[in-house]
Amino acid sequence: MFLTSGICTTSFSQGYQVNFQGQKQQGMASAGTALPQDASTVFFNPGAASFLEKGSIEIAMTPVFGNTLFEEDSTGVTGRTNSPMGKPFSVYALLRNKKVEALSYGIGIYTPFGSTIQYEDGWVGRFALTRLELMSIFVQPTISYQLNDKLGIGAGFVYCIGKVNLQKDIPVIDQNGEYSHAELSASASGMGVNAGVYFKASEILSFGLTYRSKVTMGVADGTAEFTVPEALAPNFPNGSFSSELPLPQVITLGAAFMTNENLSIAADINYIGWSAYDTLAFDYVNNTESLEDTRSARNYENTFAFRLGGQYKVSDLLSVRLGLAYGMTPVQNGYVTPETPDADRISYTGGLSLNLHEHFDIDLSLLYTHVERWDHNLETNLTGKYTTNVVAPGFALRYKF
Amino acid sequence: MSWPRDLHFVTSFNMRTNWIIVFSALAVTYSCKPKKIESDWNSGEANMAAYVAIGGSSTGGYMHDALTYEGQQNSLAAILGSQFEMVGGSPMVHPSVASSSIGWSLTGASVLELGFKTDCNGTTSLSPVRTGPTGDATVLNNIYSSTNRNFGIPFLSSLKLNDASYGDPMNGTHNPFFARMASSSSSSILTDLSATNMTFCSIQVGVDEVLEYARKGASAGSLAPVNGSAGSGFTGSIQELMDLVESKGAKAVVATIPDVMTMPYFTTIPYDGLDLDAESAESLNQIYNPIGINFVVGKNAFMIEDPNAGVFGVRQMVPGELLLLNVPLDSVKCYKMGSVFPLRDEFILTLDEQQEIRTAVEGYNESLVNMANSKGFAVVREDYFYKSFSAGMVYNGVSLNAQFVSGGAYSLDGLRLNPRGNALLANEYIRAINQKYNARIPYADPIKYKGIVFP
Repeated sequence: MFLTSGICTTSFSQGYQVNFQGQKQQGMASAGTALPQDASTVFFNPGAASFLEKGSIEIAMTPVFGNTLFEEDSTGVTGRTNSPMGKPFSVYALLRNKKVEALSYGIGIYTPFGSTIQYEDGWVGRFALTRLELMSIFVQPTISYQLNDKLGIGAGFVYCIGKVNLQKDIPVIDQNGEYSHAELSASASGMGVNAGVYFKASEILSFGLTYRSKVTMGVADGTAEFTVPEALAPNFPNGSFSSELPLPQVITLGAAFMTNENLSIAADINYIGWSAYDTLAFDYVNNTESLEDTRSARNYENTFAFRLGGQYKVSDLLSVRLGLAYGMTPVQNGYVTPETPDADRISYTGGLSLNLHEHFDIDLSLLYTHVERWDHNLETNLTGKYTTNVVAPGFALRYKF
Repeated sequence: MSWPRDLHFVTSFNMRTNWIIVFSALAVTYSCKPKKIESDWNSGEANMAAYVAIGGSSTGGYMHDALTYEGQQNSLAAILGSQFEMVGGSPMVHPSVASSSIGWSLTGASVLELGFKTDCNGTTSLSPVRTGPTGDATVLNNIYSSTNRNFGIPFLSSLKLNDASYGDPMNGTHNPFFARMASSSSSSILTDLSATNMTFCSIQVGVDEVLEYARKGASAGSLAPVNGSAGSGFTGSIQELMDLVESKGAKAVVATIPDVMTMPYFTTIPYDGLDLDAESAESLNQIYNPIGINFVVGKNAFMIEDPNAGVFGVRQMVPGELLLLNVPLDSVKCYKMGSVFPLRDEFILTLDEQQEIRTAVEGYNESLVNMANSKGFAVVREDYFYKSFSAGMVYNGVSLNAQFVSGGAYSLDGLRLNPRGNALLANEYIRAINQKYNARIPYADPIKYKGIVFP
């Protein structure tokens, strides 16, 4: 019954945002707007990409292992997730223009939003959610131009494709004692931009500012499937539905401090426009008394995330990184759902790079975070504590030219 | 373009990377799972070692208009008993019906289930139907056991608590559901209760006798007077029961009586459900226009008998009056009952009758609360709880209300709760106990208990 997907990501960050777009940055708590490192700068700051001296092509993946435990207050009943491993990935290519030195072209393919969370069979919140799979892939062709020694600008057009699969049980049982089930699945697409400015104030200090626009993932013709007792089949007609999900805008201000040749420190502040997600609505084509259109309040709030990372070049072969991030949750009290059992969080990261060869290097990163959130959901009245542990080791392979 | 010299090194490193990923996966799966904090459930100042349930249909497990094994297993007594087991209670013991039995209703019918029924117009629809042509009379066989701790007696009347003929099948006014569990045909409920070991009691007396009066349209029998001594008044009878519980050294939770007229049995059929076409309206007008009653095309109030309504003793229902689910619907649909033939008193609760019931229940509840308070027993406000159904509530994503069948909490008789409804009610008992006795008893998970089963 459950769809299996080769590409999916596990809910681990604020809302359903996924901050795994570059391994070096991941080692530094995903800071890097003012610190161009490699082709992943296409994502982190299109304005800084033209400052990179080498072209490169890279592929990266970050397997995400997340486990959530829900403990209901009143009954002591617990429910766990058995989500599949998340697989956010990224592919970047950056090419310097041969004639105009100041110009670079790049392309990025990455997964900035997504979530796959699956709860064990029969869990206490089964009528709120049994499984959510949300996947988005952004494709971003980019141009970056270095105006002078200090200033670079760049912009990319974003085309996004995605899919969503949402499942829950319906509280009616058949003769065998089996609950009914609803499955909504759809593919979606959207468009946006990623633009940035990079200012290299001096050899030791630089700044970056980026704007990644909101992308509205529209679903025009989703498929709603209901497994219900025969007598209720007319009440729950299979059919089409429409919906939309906003992937919010992110504005990032970053600074980098190159204390010496070997030690760099980067700090980013993200301002994330989560207030775009105020309602999750499903509009069914075939409405019945039992199957009405739904509008669930989400009422997300705009939030900040603060990221601080350091990088130390131990030798020509080895660089090491550490990072610390504090992310504020967009989810207000009363609106925590099993889809995103979210909370303010501190993430701890580390990483290293191995410059194996003039043309070839490898990055590794590791993230750990622990999240606790108690809530009484105002829509479902589900009341209890969600505890989530996430470990995400990542790697990148890069060819430089 | 030159490729790295030492390819071997790269491949071995990749293998190591894979190994790290696999190791991380294992580490996360087995040790990074969030740990559950063990709860310190306890019964506070109450002692749940020997829990005895005293009450009516909900306590005993009468639902879908019959006593069945499944009903007993999902009774208030069963659900509370299994929660109390987590704070030192021993398993509940019921006067069990055989698990294969199709049950026995007060009128000798089998249990109701949801099925398809074809009415007099040939229309087939989802409807409660009996599972068998007749009930299982062996349910009434006496199965007395001294270990029984579920004294949930469907159709229980407070005035009969200490009546030594209440369990005597030879006696015309006995209760067959007590007779099946009584220690002898000359034993009263209180006699049998006093023979049990009890450390804790739930007392749910009153609702069944109010239901018994109301479900027949207040046309038969009478309500017990609020005041009066044991056997002749509600207060005295309950006092005697509470005195017994206290004398056994037990603590208790005492339930108030809900406003039964919010139950689907009373609210499903609208008073103005007489839907007429032009022809029927015209022919009714020929009959009734002479006495000043007029019918229109569309919705009309049903005709009922009322001895106080003019010389003919008939009138139309008025807003607020209740038409009960015991009305023969085929007679209404096809044989002009409720129009040409006015509905009899037994199918109707008039405004006066409703007021009579409400006044009595208010009196009972005041008495129950006063007596419970003076004994130091916990009070569970079933009246508030049932009111919350009427308004509609959401439990863990499940919408529940007092609608017949679709509301999710009532059984198919429209008067008693189904297993899920009982679990929600049990949680109100636990809330009251926890509060009164500084206990931390876990609530039942109502989702684990069935609602209505659909074909």
